[in-house]
Amino acid sequence: GDLGPFNPGLPVEVPVWLAINLKQRQKCRLIPPEWMDVEKLEEIRDQERKEDTFTPMPSPYYMELTKLLLNYASDNIPKADEIRTLVKDTWDTRIAKLRLSADSFVRQQEAHAKLDNLTLMEINTTGTFLTQALDHMYKLRTNLQPGESSQSQDF
Amino acid sequence: DSDAGSEELVLTPAELIRSLEQAWLNEKFAPELLESKPEIIECVVEQLDHMEANLKRAKKGDLKVSVHRMEIERIRYVLSSYLRCRLVKIEKFFPHVLEKEKSRPEGEPSILSPEEFAFAKEYMANTETYLKNVALKHMPPNLQKVSLLKSVPKPNLDSFVFLRVLERQENILVEPETDEQREYTIDLEEGSQHLIRYKTIAPLVASGAVQLI
Repeated sequence: GDLGPFNPGLPVEVPVWLAINLKQRQKCRLIPPEWMDVEKLEEIRDQERKEDTFTPMPSPYYMELTKLLLNYASDNIPKADEIRTLVKDTWDTRIAKLRLSADSFVRQQEAHAKLDNLTLMEINTTGTFLTQALDHMYKLRTNLQPGESSQSQDF
Repeated sequence: DSDAGSEELVLTPAELIRSLEQAWLNEKFAPELLESKPEIIECVVEQLDHMEANLKRAKKGDLKVSVHRMEIERIRYVLSSYLRCRLVKIEKFFPHVLEKEKSRPEGEPSILSPEEFAFAKEYMANTETYLKNVALKHMPPNLQKVSLLKSVPKPNLDSFVFLRVLERQENILVEPETDEQREYTIDLEEGSQHLIRYKTIAPLVASGAVQLI
């Protein structure tokens, strides 16, 4: 991709991997995204706790960015500890909701779900377990029906 | 831009890498082996060689050199992961993969590259020889054949997958899970994310209308 130009003292946008690398080599200072601010995050956390559904997150990578920036550039982020706690609270609330809805999905044997406001991190945290569980349920169910063209081999 | 095959597509490097990432993710999350993408692979390899050549000519110790080197490594990782994922599936489902390729109608794209095809055939031949020498030839004569097509598990196309919609689709049929349920249709809005059986949306993955995540 195209990057730069890099002029001293002037902020420039780069991919996260490069930003972290340059920061580690002490060649730059990282500027946190707009939403990484105590007031904004408090609002988000409260809304998440209020609603049953998932609220849209300020960034599809909010969890990853928070972890990376707080690990490698906490000196560039005001009130880093508060931010860490706020994001963790929001994450916990969302994961709890996800667990509930995954449970009801399996229990009611749904065939389809729409998950618009979920971020990739959340999907992948529970995703593998959920899809494997659903696969097992399906196999058990189809083997219950005799006379169906079921495969004689299981894997 | 690319002189690979008969592809009319001219992609910018950024678009090329995006296609590679899409193919990689789809391959990772799909239960079966997907179409092979020789155009993408050839272009990416060309691009990497081009970048390596540039780097050799550049001054040492330049910040640019290390950044470009990092980028090359990242792209190389995705490419290797993609190819390795395919090999794993080829080894896992080898008789079915070969059967599918053999019975493929003219004009339908291949799921194996020529190298992968040679690998799959060799793998099959080696497995057959191995089974014969280790066990089969010691069995009574009427039990000496084994059908690999029947004994090797097929990919489970009914597995659930997560996807994101790239192009709006209407009236996708959702089959019922239980006898009490009825089938229904849904519309897939652009940008929305879903959890659904792979079988229903397999053609959409092949056409690029949805992306597995």
